[in-house]
Amino acid sequence: MIASVIFPAVLALGLIGWFSTRARAKLLYSGRGSMHSMPGYHAWHLALWIVLPALLVWGLWSAVSPVIVDHTVLSEPVAAQIPSDPVQRAAILSEARNIAEDPGFIGFYDESPTLAPAMKAAQDHYGLIGAILVAVAALAGGGYAFTRVRSGYPARTRVERLVMLALLGASLLAILTTLGIVASLVFEAARFFKDVSPIAFLTGTHWAPANAVGDDLNANFGAVPLFWGTLYIGAFIAMLVAIPLGLMSAIYLTQYADRRARKVLKPVLEILAGIPTVVYGYFAALTVAPAIRDFAAALGYQNPSTESALAAGLVMGVMIIPFVSSMADDAIAAVPRAMADGSLAMGATRSETIKKVLLPAALPGIVAGVMLAVSRAIGETMIVVMAAGATARLTADPFASMTTVTYQIVQLLTGDQEFNSPKTLSAFALGLVLFVVTLILNIIALRVVKRFREAYE
Amino acid sequence: MSNTWKSDAMTRRIAARNASERRFRLLGLSAIVLSLLFLALLLFIMLRNGLAGLDWSFLSGSDSTDASAAGIWGAAKGSFLTMVVTLVLSFPMGVLAAIYLEEFAPRNRWVDWVEVSINNLAAVPSIIFGLLGLAVFINMAGMARSSPLVGGLTLALMTMPVIVISGRNAIKAVPPSIRTAAMGVGASPVQVVFHHVLPLALPGILTGTIIGMARALGETAPLLMIGMRAFVATPPGGINDPSSVLPMQIFLWSDEIDRGFVQNTSAAIIVLLVFLLAMNGLAIYLRNKFEVRW
Amino acid sequence: MTQTKLPQTKLTARNVDVFYGDNKAIDDVSIDIGNGVVTAFIGPSGCGKSTFLRSLNRMNDTIAGARVTGQILLDGEDIYDREMDPVALRARVGMVFQKPNPFPKSIYENVAYGPRIHGLAQKKADMDGIVEKALTRAGLWNEVKDRLTDAGTALSGGQQQRLCIARAIAVSPEVILMDEPCSALDPIATARIEELIEDLKSRYAIVIVTHSMQQAARVSQKTAFFHLGRMVEYGDTHQIFTNPREERTKDYITGRYG
Repeated sequence: MIASVIFPAVLALGLIGWFSTRARAKLLYSGRGSMHSMPGYHAWHLALWIVLPALLVWGLWSAVSPVIVDHTVLSEPVAAQIPSDPVQRAAILSEARNIAEDPGFIGFYDESPTLAPAMKAAQDHYGLIGAILVAVAALAGGGYAFTRVRSGYPARTRVERLVMLALLGASLLAILTTLGIVASLVFEAARFFKDVSPIAFLTGTHWAPANAVGDDLNANFGAVPLFWGTLYIGAFIAMLVAIPLGLMSAIYLTQYADRRARKVLKPVLEILAGIPTVVYGYFAALTVAPAIRDFAAALGYQNPSTESALAAGLVMGVMIIPFVSSMADDAIAAVPRAMADGSLAMGATRSETIKKVLLPAALPGIVAGVMLAVSRAIGETMIVVMAAGATARLTADPFASMTTVTYQIVQLLTGDQEFNSPKTLSAFALGLVLFVVTLILNIIALRVVKRFREAYE
Repeated sequence: MSNTWKSDAMTRRIAARNASERRFRLLGLSAIVLSLLFLALLLFIMLRNGLAGLDWSFLSGSDSTDASAAGIWGAAKGSFLTMVVTLVLSFPMGVLAAIYLEEFAPRNRWVDWVEVSINNLAAVPSIIFGLLGLAVFINMAGMARSSPLVGGLTLALMTMPVIVISGRNAIKAVPPSIRTAAMGVGASPVQVVFHHVLPLALPGILTGTIIGMARALGETAPLLMIGMRAFVATPPGGINDPSSVLPMQIFLWSDEIDRGFVQNTSAAIIVLLVFLLAMNGLAIYLRNKFEVRW
Repeated sequence: MTQTKLPQTKLTARNVDVFYGDNKAIDDVSIDIGNGVVTAFIGPSGCGKSTFLRSLNRMNDTIAGARVTGQILLDGEDIYDREMDPVALRARVGMVFQKPNPFPKSIYENVAYGPRIHGLAQKKADMDGIVEKALTRAGLWNEVKDRLTDAGTALSGGQQQRLCIARAIAVSPEVILMDEPCSALDPIATARIEELIEDLKSRYAIVIVTHSMQQAARVSQKTAFFHLGRMVEYGDTHQIFTNPREERTKDYITGRYG
């Protein structure tokens, strides 16, 4: 509740500083060249000197004060009777904090309400100190900048330096995200590999985390069936649908369709890429999978399952069509016109030119596009969660239910396990494998695309 | 000599080649038609199943165990709050990063790493961002599970690379003569960018941002990781309340056995698709209306 | 033929070298540029005349790997001094470019932009005055006074270039650098710009780079001939064109290469 006062107060102070400084700096102006920086920059300079130090202090204090508050509360006489177990202590303190903020809160521990008044008092006490510190920081910063409102002071340079810092910081966020992904995956996966040997994980063929208790961890965390299912659905069935349809669509759009048709067909085709995966998943589960089950039954299968690799792979393939199509489109468009003209001028038909000249020339770009498509398909989650099934099995039967890496990650992390169990941690190991594989595919493909474009430029 | 071109064998050969040409062309057309038929089927089934369920009580209600009482307002509000968090974080960050990389970054190894990193992040499976969100925001930073805040943060990290890439392309398209002109009258590099380059690149950046946001709005997998699958019978009041989002609501209802939920699921899909179509339409409109060809 | 009074020196360059990476584009150029006169830089393509021009208001700073050594003084102040803000310098040394490059904003905003960032007007009325004066001096006022809110990019090529000149003089520079300002214009528009240069020269030091010797002869009082990154000859325009001291100048003027 203190936060809701301090934040607007600091901003208001900054705003007042901004307007008053601009007015003051305008008085300094006495003609061309009389000031290094325009009044507006002086105003920003001062406002930033008020707001940034204040927010910094506030941030630090919000991190530190709960610790001090807890310490103070625990040293009160009423805290003498609470259990010494640190976990229970933490829980009681947390409940006391909730009660202090919302008196209607019902806690689990009997001690919590007795601590609440002390908690409230300590919070108010240190909240007040924090507010004073913030005010001091704002005034000190503002005071410093106030003395700098002089005609020769390079306020613009200073403000622009801060802008440059912000720009740099924003681009470092991209690196930080990557590092964050790598660090969190590696860290949690390492904890998993303390219990399960990486070799057993990567080469074992039996996946049954539910049975994994005690000493037989290695035997139940063999992820090969997941890898198989992922590749079979994403890299095989889906590509069987997406490559021919996507490639032929691209060829038709770039080589045969007239401008008007192209202008309509292309965006309509791209709608396929804009449909959320959960919608595809639902469509797969509701319509495609039952149809495939009936088809399998008609073929003579005994008790075909509703969930099948074919249903998931088929729908995933359709989802990827526009992606393959636009990658192939780019690759074909990058081939110089003169190449196709040369072939046409010899009397080759369009289709002969496409098959013999354009496609071979565009092949590297198309292959890179397919790699990116595979990387997308194996990372796809919702379709397989809703249509592929949970059974880890090694089979090439498209009508069988199959599971994938992403399905298992969802399965393992949405149950009610505690966070530190090998079951939960194994999700991060699977995530790590998925990340590394897609990373390799992406980097190779992006490099091929870049080199391919340069070759024809 | 020229007679060989008129010989029967040659005529037949040319006829065969022309036939194969027609077959190939038909193949291309049928690839598109097949893809579009699939799209049409999908939309038809959703409309047939869901249209009847689209009434006011559905649009204004929240989740419920009773199919006929359940509505999507709670999930829609969760989606809205999540998108606000995503936009507020990813748009400024993405634009600032794009400006830095395009206008100020020196050519060195560090910047190469940033570029590789951004290009790759745009292709990382979304579920991986969910794992990141779970490990960092929830387990490390102790933020509230299932909240629009954590969901928005996670989706922001996913959307930012998209905005950076489209932003860089838009900035690159602004001709250098504008920059030299501004510099010539004494604008500082920062003024050149914020007074001239950015306003001119803005339509392109906004188009990319809307497309990125549309993707984030349809995303389910990363939000599953951070627990936004709670059963939420009351709409969230703020960004720290437990909440669901539209695609998650679709996923949760799709699992219900009760036949009534088939209608709800399809109706929710219609609502989601209408939102996405509107966003993409807006992006196309912006691009056509404001994009300057130099 | 009366000897014109030696004009007051505005810009002084001493032993200036300009490098692009390891390439030396300008080699040991020293020159005094006078106030109130038009100085023309002529020479074959790639001789470095534009490069040297761009070093006079530090536009070369914007090119990665460009480096200037030696001394360039504006009223005795070293413009490459650490204390010198390139931004303030460019307000004093304005520039007009080869291709007209108006901002995609209104005519008014094109001219007002410079005065606004340099804080030359406190009130709207002051700004209106500055814009009108700059457009009048650039000989454009009568053509555009009724459509100041139209886009600057909608003007004809010659008008655009005069708009760019108005934009440059709106910040009241002391020196105006013109980098082949007429190369993208038709003869009529070129004649207008040349008249304009004639009108402006009493107030500013004008340096013009041109590939047209006729233009140099028409508009300038002083001419410097550049060849292969060096300044071969510098003197009164009349003398350079009628009686060059250097053989290479003569060869160029008479069209033996270029």
